[in-house]
Amino acid sequence: MRKHVVVSFLLALCAGWLPAQESLHTIEFHYAGRAVLSPTLGTQVEVMPVLALIGADAGYSAAAGTYIVTFGDHELQFTPGHRMVLADGVLLDTRDAPVASPGGVAASVDFIDRSLLGPLGFRLEPIPQGYRIAIGARFADPVIVRPAAADFAATTTLVLTLDRPVAARPEPAPGGGIVIRFDDASPRLEPDARLRSRRVRSLASTGHDLVIETAAGVGLLSWHDLADPPRVILELGNAPPTPTPAAVRVVERTGPPPIVIDPGHGGDDNGAVASNGLSERDLTLAVARRLADELRARGHAVRLTRNADEARALSDRTALANRLEAVLFVSLHANASTFSSVTGAETYYMSLDDQATDEAAAATARLENEANGGASSRSDLDLILWDLAQASALNESAKLAVAVQSRLNELLGMRDRGVKQAPFVVLTGATMPAILVEVGFLSNPSEASRLARPEHQQELARAIATGIDAFLQGS
Amino acid sequence: MNRRVLWIVGAAVVLTALLVWVLLGPARTRAPSDLVEFSPPPTATPAPEQRVMLLFGGADGLLHPELRNVPLPAEVHERVRVVVNEVLAGPSGRLAPVVPWTAELHAVFVDGRGNAFIDLTPPPKPLTGSHTELMLAYGLVDTILLNCPELNAVQILLGGREIATLTGHLDLSRPLVLNKRFIAS
Repeated sequence: MRKHVVVSFLLALCAGWLPAQESLHTIEFHYAGRAVLSPTLGTQVEVMPVLALIGADAGYSAAAGTYIVTFGDHELQFTPGHRMVLADGVLLDTRDAPVASPGGVAASVDFIDRSLLGPLGFRLEPIPQGYRIAIGARFADPVIVRPAAADFAATTTLVLTLDRPVAARPEPAPGGGIVIRFDDASPRLEPDARLRSRRVRSLASTGHDLVIETAAGVGLLSWHDLADPPRVILELGNAPPTPTPAAVRVVERTGPPPIVIDPGHGGDDNGAVASNGLSERDLTLAVARRLADELRARGHAVRLTRNADEARALSDRTALANRLEAVLFVSLHANASTFSSVTGAETYYMSLDDQATDEAAAATARLENEANGGASSRSDLDLILWDLAQASALNESAKLAVAVQSRLNELLGMRDRGVKQAPFVVLTGATMPAILVEVGFLSNPSEASRLARPEHQQELARAIATGIDAFLQGS
Repeated sequence: MNRRVLWIVGAAVVLTALLVWVLLGPARTRAPSDLVEFSPPPTATPAPEQRVMLLFGGADGLLHPELRNVPLPAEVHERVRVVVNEVLAGPSGRLAPVVPWTAELHAVFVDGRGNAFIDLTPPPKPLTGSHTELMLAYGLVDTILLNCPELNAVQILLGGREIATLTGHLDLSRPLVLNKRFIAS
């Protein structure tokens, strides 16, 4: 009996050891009749032999610490120690990070499968000896979607240009909006894609779907697809009433179009805080309330994006102005600098960086023309009108910014920091003249003291209101 | 009984020796059908010293240039890393750093459209002020684009993540193009 126990123990020891010794040091990868032994470091596997096996070129920028892998039209970039891969220009978050290794870089089998082989069009399949590299990504290949929109009087044309031909099926989403289903691809929005439309609120990709949030009452009228380049073209407009209205609180405008004033920050977001304890969150609300009173006294309708200490998403602030078809949008902020000497007010409007967006949207109509076999007079006219409308909105924002900034300078004798352009989130997507006013620097102690005084807040409100009045009167 | 114990002990010793030989001895002999060779990555080659223009914050609230001679590689990833590391090292004169915390550059990517992505250590505590955000964003973006003319735009990432904004003002969710409006003339 004891002999059997001892022999069993020894046999078990041998049985456990024999297969284990291979997996401790190497893993076999097979592809197209070839195989490679890739050394392992704990749970990490050397990456270079696997990439070489499929014929991918792997380069390494030693000073930058970046690996660049090219295979056909695909390009991957990654850095040891970081959970991120740039795959064909799209940043992918990864579950874990590759590590530096004796062979250059090692990664988990999951990383190799999902983040390296997947974007290159391969997948790993386990086999007794290790893994077989099979053609076809386990996780459907991404399809890059470049959106562009053109608003016309009654409809919006949304063109989604795809980087490769894939089957796409638009349909109304159950809760409103539109969902485009890609059966064999994961849609990803182009990283720098921007969209400006009265009828399209946002685009988001989830799994195999691209979800389009539309303005209230806007739905899918028709759609078709085109090749060279592959595109899905949607006509959006007033949708027929649905039997079950969406459970979304819709802000309705009553009365004339208002001026929308946006007190920056709020809720848990203090914004900048001065050494005297004054927070940007409280200051902007105080000035916004005074500005609202001042404008109402001058006969304007006014709405605030928040009238209490509460949080508001940046996109919701602009969306409110759009829904109310506001005359103009003024976002109020107070500044902070690492230099406590910096003082003064400044006014921003949307950056010309967005010209790319406008050009992309203008290209929408151009694509439509080409698809129709030539330029129709209607499309040409709409395109010209649309171009003019976009240029006009930017010009109007610039005029509003100059009008407000000059009144701040004149009335307050403040240091003129001028009118500037930058891509501010809260100004993105505004379909009316829109500016962001920085009323002063809370990081400067004397300016912070002045900003805390109610009289100074009233003067600021009066100066901004005078500037708005001057703009609306065209002077 | 004693012989049996000796036999068992002897077998255990032999097996242990065999185990040690296999684990620490020569590598396995069963070769795959085709072994692909690989080699460790090369080390960086020394680059010629060139003058770069770095942007830092001035007391007037604008970006000011500082010229510095540094070894500047020709390869774009490496050049971005050199330039950004010089910015992160801070100014040598009266100017102020544009990145107001001790940050490291973790990763540099460049896509086929000339967009660079730089991944920095995130700030230890929240920053405030659009001015802080503008100085940081365009101090880095403009410095990179002025020294790497083959690039079109730069996106700043923090802690391996894309960020929508840093202090709640500027849209940092996409690559930023050159904006000279914040550089002192």
